[in-house]
Order: sequence, then structure tokens, then C-alpha cells
Amino acid sequence: MSDPRIFDRRAVRAHRRRAASSFADHDFLFREVADRLAERLLDIQRPFTWVAEIDARGPILEQALRNAGVFEHRGISRYLRLTDDRSAGPSILADPELLPLAPQAVDLLVSNLALHWVNDLPGLLVQARRALRPDGMLLASLLGGQTLHELRAVLLEAESEIDGGVSPRVSPFADIRDTGALLQRAGLALPVSDVDSIDVTYQDAFALLRDLRGMGETNAVRDRRRAFSRRAMLMRAAELYHERHRTADGRIHATFQVLYLAGWAPHESQQKPLRPGSAKGRLADALGAVEHSAGEKARPR
Amino acid sequence: MAEPADVDPKLLEILVCPLTKQPLRYDRAKQELISDTARLAYPIRDGIPIMLVEEARKLDEDSPVGR
Repeated sequence: MSDPRIFDRRAVRAHRRRAASSFADHDFLFREVADRLAERLLDIQRPFTWVAEIDARGPILEQALRNAGVFEHRGISRYLRLTDDRSAGPSILADPELLPLAPQAVDLLVSNLALHWVNDLPGLLVQARRALRPDGMLLASLLGGQTLHELRAVLLEAESEIDGGVSPRVSPFADIRDTGALLQRAGLALPVSDVDSIDVTYQDAFALLRDLRGMGETNAVRDRRRAFSRRAMLMRAAELYHERHRTADGRIHATFQVLYLAGWAPHESQQKPLRPGSAKGRLADALGAVEHSAGEKARPR
Repeated sequence: MAEPADVDPKLLEILVCPLTKQPLRYDRAKQELISDTARLAYPIRDGIPIMLVEEARKLDEDSPVGR
């Protein structure tokens, strides 16, 4: 039987380790999205005493929240970094797919551009909901399905032209159409998911690939080709990339699509639909209309 | 050898075994968090709990632990 897991977590760790020493030169996307998460938290009128970050890439998100005043305004007293990367300054060394958190452990769970490497996102969301105190919040950003669509297309085309076959080179990502349902299925209340598209320009496709390596975000799909890509194939891909996605000043565009997921651990204070049959007024009266019977009697259970 | 860095007791309260999600026992002398249900001991190094299954020590099946 083939293994159903899509991502090779050991490769993810290896890529991040390799990137660790120069990550600061390639972390602009992480810092930008961390700032956007901080803005969202400033809009929430509720204190968060204990916070845990899932799959932290160093102090970037924590720093962004401090700088934006989230710690001060939301009363954060503990911030735990959960990661399986020793170089990221962990509070707890943990596999992001297996949270070691007790039921109702924290008030807020955050994650910044990391969960697109998780094999079982629905399972992780269930674990997250259990770890939240009632009315606790989950807020995460992750890369979405349109990310690097330009690169994906030109690599596929160059590879099939030159090698006569294709292998997965750019990760499959979650899609915005699925995320709301995932949150709901995990039992999170008031689920919200939305999307941002960040357009980055690079000198050429090689500069983009260097940056991805610097971020530690290169391919960790289990069925990826392990052999080095042939130079001819990469040259052809770079050429196609430049033909199709160049900017006015001769650089190239690369799209990073960022999904934001937010949801709450259920609590009685949250708004919810009323029980069927509990209405105190008639819809016809509210609409100023005349009610015509459809010939059926309502039978509330 | 220096005294092991003590781990924050409040942190221990919110940790469970990542596999079974059951409570852990803290062995202060050995600096380990013991999951009786998974028969694993998770080490604490420099005050950081290492909650990785692949780094946990397997507890011997027949010898009773922590009695």
C-alpha cells in the first residue's frame, strides 16, 4: 500500500535547517504576513492570556505581535513557540501534526505560513479546537492554491518538453473553497476564511528558486523526484517564465496566495441560530405581507 | 554537573502525550515526562520539553514505572 501522506516532514525540517543561517535575508513574506495577522488580532476585543504558536519559524510572529501592541492590548502573558525545529528557539519541541496540548490549554492558537506543510490539516484543526479554552481563537495564515502558479505551469511544460514526463515539483496547497468547511468540520464556531494575493517580482526564475531555498520552502512532496533537475530543463522553464510573466521592466512576477483561517472554540456567548419553532413573531407580519397557507401544519419536534 | 534547568510547572500543566493526549507524570530527577498510556518518556533538555515521539525513551514493557 502506498503511504497516504503527501508531504515528507523530514524534508521540510531539512530544508528549514539548511535555510536557517540566512533565513533573515529571505523572510520578507513571513514578516509581511505576520504584520497582517497582528492587525487582525488588534481588531478582536477579547483578552488572550496564554498563546501558542503552531510550527513557529523563529520569533517572527511573536515579534510582530509585540511590535503591533497585541501583547499589551490583549494581555498576553505567555507565548509558547511549538516547533520541531531546534534552531527556531522553541518553548516546546513538538511535531506540528501531533499537538502535545491538554484540552483547554490556551486562549489563542496562531500560526504563520507553516500549515501548508501539514499532511492532515483537518486533523490538526480538530486538535487545535480541543486545545482552546471556550471562546478561544484560532488564527492562521498558510499558502493557498494559487501560490507559484506561474512556476508550476512552466516547470510542467519544460519538463514534459525535455524529459517527456512530469513529476510533482510544486506542492499541492489547500484551496480557499475548502477552508471554511474544514474549520466548521473541526467544530470551530464563527469560521472565517479569506485570501490575500501578494505579487513579488524577481530578476528571473533562478532568483525566485534561490529565494524559495532561502525561505526553506522548496519541494517536500513525498513523490518528488530526488535526482537533481537537469540544467536544460530549468533553463527552458526560466525562458518560458520570462516569456509569459515578465514585468514592464523585464523582471518576472511570482504570486504568493495567502489564506487566513479564523475560528472560535464554541462558547454560549457566541451568536447562533435560534431553535426552529422558537419564533415569537410571524414572518408575514415582519414583511407586511399576507400569509397564504400551503395546506400543511407545522409540527415542531 | 549543574542542577538541571527547572521547567515551568505551569507549562507542565498544559502538556499531554502527543500520541494519546493523556496526562503526563513529571520525573524531576530524570527530567522526563512520562506517558503511562503510550509507555514513553519524553525528555526535558535545558528546560525545553521534547515532545517528539521519535526522541522519547521507550519504557520497558514488564517493569512497573514510577512506583
